[in-house]
Amino acid sequence: MNTMLTKWTAGAAAALVLTGGAVFAADKTLDIGVSDALTGGAAVYGLPQANAVKMAAAEINAAGGIAVGGDTYMLNVIAYDDKANPTEASNAVRKLIDRDGVKFILGFCCSGATGAVASFIENEDAVMLVGNAAERSITTREIPNLVRTRPPADYTGAAAGTFVADKGHKRVAVLGALDVGFYASYVDAFEVELNKAGGEIISREAFSLKDRDMSPQLTKIREQQPDAILVVGYVEPAAFVYRQAVELGIDVPRYGFTSGSEEQFLRVASSEQMEGVWDLRPTELTLLSASDNGIAYHKNYSDTYGIAPSPSSPYAYDQTYALKDAIEAAGTVDDTQAVAAALRELAVPDEVVMQYLPVDGTMFDVNGQAYTSNGAFQWQSGNWVFVQDLPSDAAAYSAFLSTID
Amino acid sequence: MIEILQQIVNGVAIGGVYVLIALGLTTVFGILGIAHFAHGSVSMFGGYLTFFLVSGMGFPLLLAILVALLTGLVIGMAIEFLAYRPVRNANHINAFIVALGLTMMVEGLNLEFFGHEQVVIPTDLGRVFNIGGVTLPELRLYVILAAALLILAMTIFVEKTKTGQAIRAVAENRDAAILMGVNVNTIPLVVFAISTALGVCAGVMVGSLFAIAPGIGEGLVVKGFAVLILGGLGSIPGAVVGGLVLGITEALAAGFISSAYKDVIAFVVMITVLLVRPQGLMGKA
Repeated sequence: MNTMLTKWTAGAAAALVLTGGAVFAADKTLDIGVSDALTGGAAVYGLPQANAVKMAAAEINAAGGIAVGGDTYMLNVIAYDDKANPTEASNAVRKLIDRDGVKFILGFCCSGATGAVASFIENEDAVMLVGNAAERSITTREIPNLVRTRPPADYTGAAAGTFVADKGHKRVAVLGALDVGFYASYVDAFEVELNKAGGEIISREAFSLKDRDMSPQLTKIREQQPDAILVVGYVEPAAFVYRQAVELGIDVPRYGFTSGSEEQFLRVASSEQMEGVWDLRPTELTLLSASDNGIAYHKNYSDTYGIAPSPSSPYAYDQTYALKDAIEAAGTVDDTQAVAAALRELAVPDEVVMQYLPVDGTMFDVNGQAYTSNGAFQWQSGNWVFVQDLPSDAAAYSAFLSTID
Repeated sequence: MIEILQQIVNGVAIGGVYVLIALGLTTVFGILGIAHFAHGSVSMFGGYLTFFLVSGMGFPLLLAILVALLTGLVIGMAIEFLAYRPVRNANHINAFIVALGLTMMVEGLNLEFFGHEQVVIPTDLGRVFNIGGVTLPELRLYVILAAALLILAMTIFVEKTKTGQAIRAVAENRDAAILMGVNVNTIPLVVFAISTALGVCAGVMVGSLFAIAPGIGEGLVVKGFAVLILGGLGSIPGAVVGGLVLGITEALAAGFISSAYKDVIAFVVMITVLLVRPQGLMGKA
């Protein structure tokens, strides 16, 4: 009888501890913020990023949350639409910090909006994790509480210039969103490498985010008889460039820097019109090049949202896991300086999707910048197919980045 | 030379869209004196509806356009009857405010019904014709032909039919038209129906040539008013000439000066024309 009672008591106590533990864990919630373009022209990048953060948070919660000391925190994502607009982004981040009490802010697809927030985040008790925004200056300001998962545009532009020069093209026409700093810096770095090989950029034509009729610029380019075209810009206008180039009978290789998914391009151009187009970009997610994590990410995202993820969306997914590991390493959710410092010391988390190139063994270098390899992708029969790696010397670029004020 | 011709062809296609938008605006303004700002948003509604019918319901393109056109006719009459008629005899500022409110309302409805994503109306018109070095995509050719046909139909309707004569009579002298037995309550309904139908056609053209997305209608209506002023307020030939001038100027400016400033250059041309002819290209002094 006593034995039975002892067993029952022990079982009951164990159940109480487990149940109590579960209740205790459920009581701890950590709000994390997302500021991103959920609507408007840049939503093709921002919305998938916000979705990716939510998905990663759900996965982390399902796996037991974030362990800090004896506590376990479940993540709650508060997302605001910054429309890729600097003013809206500043307001969204102020709202997250001042009203919602958020200390960790993720997302940030676009450079203008991100730059605006970066200009004041250093003075805030918060940590900013930047995703797809590629403007170089974001990580040249030595902001201790800011890190970025995407490499700067010129890191990739130089690699792209070498690749195009190796293809034997001497006269390249550029058409792009050249009033956007990071696209311009991509082209500048591209041009340096092209010039080294004896090539040149014969024209630089611009389009804006809202432009859809590219035929005047393409007509001008057609008359210049380039060996190749380089298109740098947001997915939607870029897709119109590819489509209208075919309509105008321009039959030269088309290279680009867009990071759009197949689905995004096919909303505008047919697969036949896209055939053969190159995208020279960081080695982002594509189904055919992805790691096991990438394949799982693609499937989970598609199942959750009913649409394929954009190639750049894992930058935000990876932010979330980097944050989780940094919080656990720092052992605090309150001391943002400790978490920011832990991010700088962080090894690449096991769960990330992108293929990062650690610098001195850490995911983020001293500037808070992470690096992926660069890759050449080509549109083949309706899909982006990974063709080859592009030169990607993360350590050398990191040293260069440290020299810039 | 080929480049100039190509740019002109490029400009004619987009100019055709401007003409249709401006025709709708100019008839409303000419008859009723209303600056119908919601015209662009209603046009986009027509484009969205066509996209929905084709992509969501599997309608053939022509049937979808027909349904969108008929819907446009009804919406046009509803707008006149419910929004503008109550303020017809009030101060002009009332109609102005109604127009602004209507714009926000229709934009909001577009967002609610069709979402914020950019959509492109799918067509099977993928061939490209090459005429002496000038390329003409099949879709652009159909847009140019359709715009020309609609302009012709509109002209015949206004010039040759009894209703058209009544519309012109009301535009020239409303009181005299009443004395001549013209039903001045019916004419605005007809004008809004036609105007909206033309706008729907423009929306379909924009949606198939380029894309429909929130905000595009507002940009289009600004261009429409620019054409209206350039061609001459209330003038149908003025809308035609003004639309083509604006479209071709934009294309030539982007091709030969700078693509970054094509809108600026087009508006500079417009202002220059108005300095010389304040009444517009075809307006009456």
